[in-house]
Amino acid sequence: MHISEGVLSAPVLIAGAVLSLGGVSVGLKKMSYDKIPQVAVLSSAFFVASLIHVPIGPSSVHLVLNGLVGVFLGWMAFPSIFVALALQALLFQFGGFTSLGVNTFTMAAPAVIAYYLFNYPIRKARHTISMLAGFFAGVIGVGLGALFVAIALVTTGESFTNISKIMVLAHLPVMVIEGIVTAFCVVFLKKVKPEILEEVGKR
Amino acid sequence: MKAGFKHLIFYLLVAFLCLIFVPLAHAHKVNIYAYAESGRVYSEGYFVDGTKAKNSVIEVFDEKDGTKLLEGKTDEEGKFSFQIPKATSLKLVFHASMGHQAEFTLGEDEVRAAMDAKQPLKASSVKSPSQSEVSAAKKTPKKERAEAAECKGLSESEIETIVGSAMDKKLQPLMRMIVQLQESSGKPKITEIIGGIGYIIGILGIVAYFKAKRSIKTD
Repeated sequence: MHISEGVLSAPVLIAGAVLSLGGVSVGLKKMSYDKIPQVAVLSSAFFVASLIHVPIGPSSVHLVLNGLVGVFLGWMAFPSIFVALALQALLFQFGGFTSLGVNTFTMAAPAVIAYYLFNYPIRKARHTISMLAGFFAGVIGVGLGALFVAIALVTTGESFTNISKIMVLAHLPVMVIEGIVTAFCVVFLKKVKPEILEEVGKR
Repeated sequence: MKAGFKHLIFYLLVAFLCLIFVPLAHAHKVNIYAYAESGRVYSEGYFVDGTKAKNSVIEVFDEKDGTKLLEGKTDEEGKFSFQIPKATSLKLVFHASMGHQAEFTLGEDEVRAAMDAKQPLKASSVKSPSQSEVSAAKKTPKKERAEAAECKGLSESEIETIVGSAMDKKLQPLMRMIVQLQESSGKPKITEIIGGIGYIIGILGIVAYFKAKRSIKTD
C-alpha cells in the first residue's frame, strides 16, 4: 500500500505531508519518556512486516500491522509509522520521498482511529471480547488504509468506486490475516504486560 | 490449558485456510527493466517479490521533450516489446494498479546502437528469416557479383551483419541474466532489514535523548 513517486499531483502530496506533519507533532508531544522503547519496537515491527512476503500460491502477501501499532500507540503511531516508512523508502525504494507524507497519513490515520475504537474494549473487556476487538482493530487498520489510498488515487483520475473496489478486494485476505495476528498479539500482551495498553499520554 | 491449545490449533487452521484462498495478486513495489536490441525495445515489469506484472500499462515517452510516443500493455509474462519509435533516449513509465509506478530510462546511445544493428539484420532476414546468417551472407555475393569478385571475400557490411547477429545470439542469455539479477536485487535482504531495525532504534534513541534533556530541565 505504498503509493509510488510520481503518481500523485502536487496538491495531494502537500496535503498529505501537512496532515502527516500535524500527526507526527501531536504524536511526538504525547510520547512520554517511558513509551519510547515501545514506539521503537512497534516501529520495527511495522518496518519488517511489509518487507517479509509470504508466498502463497502464485502470489504473496505481507502484513501491514498498522492496526496493531495504533492500538498500542494511539497518536504516537504517526511518528512510529513515519520513521518506518522513511527507512523503507530510503533503503528499498518502497513508496518514495515525495509520497512519504501521503503514505504516512494513509497508514497512520487508520491506526489512530483503531486506537480510539478498540483500545478501551481491549483494555477493559474480558478475554474473548478483547480478542474480538483486537481482530477488528487489525481489520480496520488495513481496510481504512486501503480506502484512504483509494481516496488519494481518485485525484489521479480513476473513478472512486472502481479504485476503492480494487483496493478493498485486494486487501480482503490481508485484512483477515491481519485481524487474526493482531488479535493474538493483543491477547498475549494483555496477559503478559497489561500496562502496555494503558492510555497513552497519561502516566 | 488443553482447551487453549485446541483454540490455538483452530486459529492456526483458520489462518492457514486464509493463506490458501488468497484470490487476488497482491501488489507490492513494482520494478521495470528494459533493454534495446536489434531495433526493438524489450521491457519487463515485475513486483518486488518476483511475480510478473500482467496486463499493466507501459507508456513510452521521449525523454527530451516529454512527448508520449506510444503505449502498450504487458502480456501474461509481464513483458512488452515495441519497435523503437525514435532515435532518442526513451523513458518508460510503468503503471501497475493501486498507485504503483516505476520508471526506466534507456539512454540515447543504447537506442541508437540498437537501431543501427537493426538495418543490416533486416536486410539479411527479409528473404528467409530462418536461414542461418552464413548462408545469407553467401547469397548476397551472388546478387552483387561485381563486388564479390573484387575482393573475393566478405564485404564490410556482411561481416558486420554476421558479427552483429552472432553477438545478438550470445548476448541474449546474458541480457536475460541481467534482468534476473535486477529482479533479485530489488528484494530486501536480511542484512538491510536488520540494519533498518537498527536505524529505527537509533532514531528513537535520539528522540529519547532530547526528551530526557527536556524532563531534566523541567524537574
